[in-house]
Amino acid sequence: MGHIVSTETQRSAAQDLAAAVSEMDGITAEVLERSSGTSPRNVVVVNCPPERWRVLAENLRNTQGVDYCSMITGIHWPEGGPEKNWEVIYHFLRMAVSDPPVIGGMVEPIITDPTKVGGIRVPLEIEVRINLPETREPSVASVQDIWVGADWNEKETWDLVGIDFEGHVGMRRVLQPHETPTGFHPLQKQHKLRYHDFEEMYDDAQGFLRKPSDSGKIK
Amino acid sequence: MGPQHPMTHGLWTLKVKVDGETVIDTEPDLGYIHRGVEKICEARDFTQITTYCDRLCYASANTWSHSYIYAVEDLLEVEVPERAEYIRLIAVELQRIASHLMWLGAYGPDTGNLSIMVWCLREREMMMDLLQELSGSRMHYNFPRVGGVKRDLPHGFAQRARAKVSLFLNRIQEYEALFDESTIFLIRTQGVGYAKPEEMVNHGVSGPNLRAGGVNYDVRRAHPYSVYSELDWEPPVERPSIKGADCYDRYRIRIEEMRISALMVLEALEKIPRGADTYHEPGDPAILAKAPSRAPEGTSGFHHFEDSRGESMFYLAGGGEARGKHPYRVSIRSPMFLTIPYASKCMIGYKVADIPAIMGSFDPCIGETDR
Repeated sequence: MGHIVSTETQRSAAQDLAAAVSEMDGITAEVLERSSGTSPRNVVVVNCPPERWRVLAENLRNTQGVDYCSMITGIHWPEGGPEKNWEVIYHFLRMAVSDPPVIGGMVEPIITDPTKVGGIRVPLEIEVRINLPETREPSVASVQDIWVGADWNEKETWDLVGIDFEGHVGMRRVLQPHETPTGFHPLQKQHKLRYHDFEEMYDDAQGFLRKPSDSGKIK
Repeated sequence: MGPQHPMTHGLWTLKVKVDGETVIDTEPDLGYIHRGVEKICEARDFTQITTYCDRLCYASANTWSHSYIYAVEDLLEVEVPERAEYIRLIAVELQRIASHLMWLGAYGPDTGNLSIMVWCLREREMMMDLLQELSGSRMHYNFPRVGGVKRDLPHGFAQRARAKVSLFLNRIQEYEALFDESTIFLIRTQGVGYAKPEEMVNHGVSGPNLRAGGVNYDVRRAHPYSVYSELDWEPPVERPSIKGADCYDRYRIRIEEMRISALMVLEALEKIPRGADTYHEPGDPAILAKAPSRAPEGTSGFHHFEDSRGESMFYLAGGGEARGKHPYRVSIRSPMFLTIPYASKCMIGYKVADIPAIMGSFDPCIGETDR
């Protein structure tokens, strides 16, 4: 029982990473303690200006061993002020996974004992936040070539939120139809959810006669 | 291939470039059943969203609603009673078995073995009966609540669960006999669709597909949540070939996972605080903690969760409409959204007839992919 990374190991590994990242120009990092179920977890939260993001990403991948890009979230803050009109949040995991070695022609599975890991092999959760200023065409550098897993995440973020990723090769619609009008990104906040009232649902159950209340207006 | 094709296990298109019978390039095309769950959730209370999360994947509804609930509890900073955590663990692991059985039942026809489908659905029914006893529903359970669970274990549940899970543990051997001694199955899966662990991690593939490559990485172990650290279990690991994990390894790992999950359920029934036979009324503080219904602006919550298909995750930003009752932004990380592009790359170099075997072995689910 209890073959898990101890909280102390995880905390010190998180603090190491936060300290190493904070030494870079313009980047701040802190360790937040959150709880999940019965056990505490330590999350490294990094704030990064958009122009430093490529440098930070390369550092995370090559020096800190952050090998897994979990998710990219784009948020539109229309009332967030000139500094924070858009936000891109990256979630990473440090998995420290390598290909199993071949011994005598046979592959030997890697059975990591989490109680004994140390250094950059301690599993960690990392959150990187990037605030983008007020603009009609928000964009941030792509990290598609550093983590291949970021590829489709970036496609999705552009498709739904409209944040462009500079240097992304092969950007296209993934979840919405390919013929979606240019500039339509449904998770931007100017697009409101519409409701149909009770009678409307019964008179026209299939919705053939229904027209959006804002039809004819420029979106 | 697709959107209507037995290979797809859902609704999506795989564009295949072939040279004769050999696949030389592929490109997946997703989004056929994009329902805009993330946008809908922005206009719902935190408690209402659970229902939508159930519908992300019909084969594994419970893991998705739990994945969401842990993110909300991180956002609202709720402490969950230990008994509720054990009940959740039992519900999630039963769902994991049911989901893997659904996969195995679908993978049999993919590889020329039709009888396994009926066998697997028979055992899946037992798991769904147990989950129905817990939640009152057969497919979309809406079982977890913010701060606990809907209901306690009903009277006699432990006894029936033990009987069914033990019976299931015996039946796994039947599947193994049916699959591992079927020459057709072995020819179609062995040496097909190799995947290397480092490559998989870089592409964002996780869960059973990654563990099939000989690495014991498991979110339940690396970032323990719930009460997984209290139970005695080890994530199963396969011994792949030099080239990486093939379809056969991915089949083996799911068989082992079902076995581990079944043992976990049995152990959790033993270890649950105050015994599995005690019953608390719904809403009792022993199974449901009080939780706030509003999240102020500037707060956020997220949680990495081991879904049946890999690492799933929700990111929630607080401070939405109705004075914080709604989330401002909900973002869903689906394991299959990144696995499908990678699986499509795995097919390059194999024959067209291998595509169903390779794609099926990654366990695609389109409901969660398209959201």
